[in-house]
Amino acid sequence: MGERTRQVLPSVLSVLLALAVCWLTIALTRDADTATKAYLQMLWGGVGNWPAYLEGGNANSVLRPLGESAMKAALLTLTGLSVAVAFKVGLFNIGAQGQMIWGALAAALVGAHVSLPAVLHVPLALLAAAAAGAVWSSIAGLLKLKRGVHEVISTIMLNWVAVSLVDNWLVIGPLRAVAQGHQSSITGTAEILSTAQLPRLLGDSSRLNLGFPLALVAALAVWVWLGRTRSGYETRAVGLTPEAARAAGIPTLWRAGGAMALAGALAGLAGAVLVLGTEGRYPGTLGAPYGFDGIAIALIGNNHPLGAAVSAAVFGILRAGGTRMQLLGVHKSFPELIQGFALLFVAGRMVWLALLNRRRAQRAAVEVPRA
Amino acid sequence: MSLEDASLDIVPGELLAVVGENGAGKSSLMNVLYGLYHPDAGTFLMDGKPVRLKSPRDAIARGIGMVHQHFMLVPTLTVAENVVLGREPTKRGLLDLDRACDEVAATAKRFGFQLDPRARVDTLTVGSQQKVEIVKALHRGAQVLILDEPTAVLTPQESDELAQVMRGLVQQGRTVVLISHKLKEVLGVADRVAVMRRGRTVAEVRASETTVSALASLMVGEGSRGAALTGVPVTAGPSGSDTVAAGAGTASTRSDEGTAPSGPIVLDAKDLRAKGDNGRPALQGVSLTVHAGEIVGIAGVDGNGQRELAEVLTGLRALDGGEGTLLGGPLADLTPARAKARGVGHVPEDRLARAVVKAMSVEENVALGRHRQPPFARGPWVDFKGRRERTNQLLTTYDVRPPDPTMALQAMSGGNQQKVVVARELDADPKLLVVVQPTRGLDIGAVAQVHARLREAKARGAGVVMVSLDLEEVLALSDRVYVLYEGRVTGHFPRKDLDERELGRRMLGAESDHG
Repeated sequence: MGERTRQVLPSVLSVLLALAVCWLTIALTRDADTATKAYLQMLWGGVGNWPAYLEGGNANSVLRPLGESAMKAALLTLTGLSVAVAFKVGLFNIGAQGQMIWGALAAALVGAHVSLPAVLHVPLALLAAAAAGAVWSSIAGLLKLKRGVHEVISTIMLNWVAVSLVDNWLVIGPLRAVAQGHQSSITGTAEILSTAQLPRLLGDSSRLNLGFPLALVAALAVWVWLGRTRSGYETRAVGLTPEAARAAGIPTLWRAGGAMALAGALAGLAGAVLVLGTEGRYPGTLGAPYGFDGIAIALIGNNHPLGAAVSAAVFGILRAGGTRMQLLGVHKSFPELIQGFALLFVAGRMVWLALLNRRRAQRAAVEVPRA
Repeated sequence: MSLEDASLDIVPGELLAVVGENGAGKSSLMNVLYGLYHPDAGTFLMDGKPVRLKSPRDAIARGIGMVHQHFMLVPTLTVAENVVLGREPTKRGLLDLDRACDEVAATAKRFGFQLDPRARVDTLTVGSQQKVEIVKALHRGAQVLILDEPTAVLTPQESDELAQVMRGLVQQGRTVVLISHKLKEVLGVADRVAVMRRGRTVAEVRASETTVSALASLMVGEGSRGAALTGVPVTAGPSGSDTVAAGAGTASTRSDEGTAPSGPIVLDAKDLRAKGDNGRPALQGVSLTVHAGEIVGIAGVDGNGQRELAEVLTGLRALDGGEGTLLGGPLADLTPARAKARGVGHVPEDRLARAVVKAMSVEENVALGRHRQPPFARGPWVDFKGRRERTNQLLTTYDVRPPDPTMALQAMSGGNQQKVVVARELDADPKLLVVVQPTRGLDIGAVAQVHARLREAKARGAGVVMVSLDLEEVLALSDRVYVLYEGRVTGHFPRKDLDERELGRRMLGAESDHG
């Protein structure tokens, strides 16, 4: 088995097995026909109803679902990258959610209260979000590197601090939008200016916006950085064998701290994409736990930047399409269930590899006669 | 495949030695005997009856005991507690420590060991800890005792004592199987010697009817070594010149060159003090000088400050006191990066923890530490082409097998991993090279090559500090030797005054008359 196969195969098998288990669950509680139809609905809902499009020619039936999937995939890619980057230096970033909350708030404030042309406004809002996320994750990073506080504990706690400060105070208190004219009862922060909106790429027919290519570029950039630059190489060495990295003269604390800050920046960008791309402001509560989903996405993607992007695309499609399962009376949370099962199965990566190796060994044993 | 058609007859009441290069399968065979490994094919007879050992528990029940190279003792427990561990005597359901002590004392006495059953294991010397291991096996009724490289960690005096212990056990009717690659030592104590090569037992001879060089050529196999070492100027080897002569095909006794250090001073350290990992003082005033173009050996029993000294010299451990100049800069503010920049090379003791990133490829490991400069980098980017070229070059020069730069380093054998580390460090053309246990666990061929490379570095004008627990190695390579005992220098010998016995005495803390 090649090295690449060893990396990819367990993830693919885990997702397939998760799909099978959930199909079986629906088939057992309803019937096999419903299960298959529900899966088809999920697929059409995610990638578009291609048979209908090819027959009828209505582009919207394809573009709209693809736009929804891409939107979700963009958020999952960014939070997945956040977790994966921290993993590269051996840190488990459970705090993508909190970092995303600050990123979303920063983007919303810059988007609403700064006046700039769009070419500057969007980058500035993104930058502010990345910086906010990086600051938040660096608190955990510094606590870990300077005081030895375990990052799992600190990032979980910082998530709650972020929720309490932002959702439970700032956006319903000091930063709450002031009601204007006919608008009443606004929740969350003020609407962002149109110059700060992420441009839609397909006009009105789809909500596909700049966030998706941005996430892909981020994944590619992280991949190139880790694999092709000196500092990326140093970062991986620190994560794999910290003592050897130290002995080689690599500034281990800077690399670990840098990776943690980058993790926060990526999660912060996810918040910005959410606010600037779809929400239009920081809503009363950020709700969707894309930060936590990032953990599953990173692990299913084997902590590889491109792997995270692929697994984000897969689950973006499933989750965008999942709502359509309701047409058949199947609960829309099944995509999350599939994601959960896939995570569970991928945690047994070693078991997968052992099983695959044993099959090979058995075949070899048959071929080679023993003395 | 580490064992292939290996056969071994163990005769009751004899001392059988199993010799072979690293990777020859000695340890694998012993692990089969001890129930740790299960053979794919073949039979195992005890007293003529076929036996299947499922686990060490089975082996122990059948009277087989094993003393591992790395002791399996709980340091914070007493001797008696360690010996009875797993089969503790109880009184009304509670541990009966007094009885344990009595039992252990009785066993020790029966076999002539002097051990205080109430002493804590971490207060004992390495030699005594080994005795605890032996008593533990005997206490569990071992008739056959397997000792894996028992003298690797002992001083010459302790090794002599161990030889007496082993003979004593044989006289009392026990069977001893000794695994070793120190041939001289084996011939001094064993009745019979089994030689392993590439997973097979290739010969069984009576110790009285063979010689070191005959055994060595059996171990390496006629003619095969010459090819493996093509282009490498082998001049000396691991375990005394006899072994090397046979193993490498070129005989050389200790060179008498370099009587007095003459090159410029690369390291001048005074009164170095540093704490160990446990916070206790590990270096308590060590002074030493190293000149360009000499190999300075640091001898001592494991744990007397050698590791800490090497760490201080490579910037890995902060000084607690003392001062010094290293390659034109102060020693006090040394960091690993500064040490590298000044030209310090380092072959650390714990290869997998410190020298390499085992999950990375060979070429990535060759770049480690030099990854910011050409040919490994161009600007902020990794220079894949330059790195590949340089790696291929080094793999060929240093005879690393397989010569595959993309292979994960962990897939290589220990000897080849070490060759990669040595290649990397020497390729940087260091002015001061700090090596710790550079040949531990390597086979004869690899040892000879590493030694040749160290001499080469010296010839190129590097000052070499070599920490080794293998006295033979220290004696074979060093121009001068410092002996460390409990963090102090207890002896300083120029080459002409080197004497194994005297070194051994100093290693155990005997006061110095000179140096």
